Amino acid sequence: MILGRVIGQVWAARRDARLQRAKLLVVKPHAIYEPAFGTRHLVATDDVDAGVGDDVIVCLGAPARASAGGNDMPVDAAVLGVVDRFELNLEAMRAAGAGPGIKRALTVPAGAGATRK
Amino acid sequence: MIRGTVVGQVWATRKARGLDGQTLLLVAACDAEGRATGRLVVASDTLDARAGEDVTVAFGSGARNVLRAGPENRDLLCDAAIAAIVEGAG
Repeated sequence: MILGRVIGQVWAARRDARLQRAKLLVVKPHAIYEPAFGTRHLVATDDVDAGVGDDVIVCLGAPARASAGGNDMPVDAAVLGVVDRFELNLEAMRAAGAGPGIKRALTVPAGAGATRK
Repeated sequence: MIRGTVVGQVWATRKARGLDGQTLLLVAACDAEGRATGRLVVASDTLDARAGEDVTVAFGSGARNVLRAGPENRDLLCDAAIAAIVEGAG
C-alpha cells in the first residue's frame, strides 16, 4: 500500500459494465512511489468516500480488485482508507539513511495532522 | 520481498472493512546495500515490528500469505506485509 493525496475525480459515461458504480479518484502519491509510465498519479476506485484533499491509503493489485467487487474487476488500485494521523520516527529515518525523497514525503502531508517524534 | 526499515505508523478511522485490525507501518525501502531509497511502503504488520527495526516486506500474494496462508485468501485487503524482522545481513 502507499500514501497519497486525492487531487481530483474522473467521470466517464462510457465505461466497462463492471465499473458502472465505481467512483474513480485521481491520487497523487506522496513523492514516495512512482506509478507506471512516469505519470506521477494513479486513478483508483474509492471504497471510503474520500474527497479532494484527503490523504489516503491506496492498495495496489489483486486486493484492489477484491475490494472493488471481485477478481474480474478491471481495476488495479483502490483507495481503502482516509488517513487521520501518521507518525514518523525521525531517529529511525536518520539511522536508515533516509534520502531526500523521504524528506519530501515528510513535508508534503504535514498539514494533514501528521505528528512527528 | 524487499528489505526496509520501519520508520513510522499510519492510522485511518474511515477505511474499508477489510483493513480492520491491520496495523499499518511505514517502511523505508532499502537498496541492495541496505541504504534507504527514498520510497515509503505502507505494510501490514503481524510481528510487532518497532520503529528503527530492519524488516523484509513481502508483496502480492506473498503478503496475503503472511496474514492468512492458503489459496483462499484473495479476499484479504493487503498488498504488502512485514514477513520477517532482520537481525543481521551479510
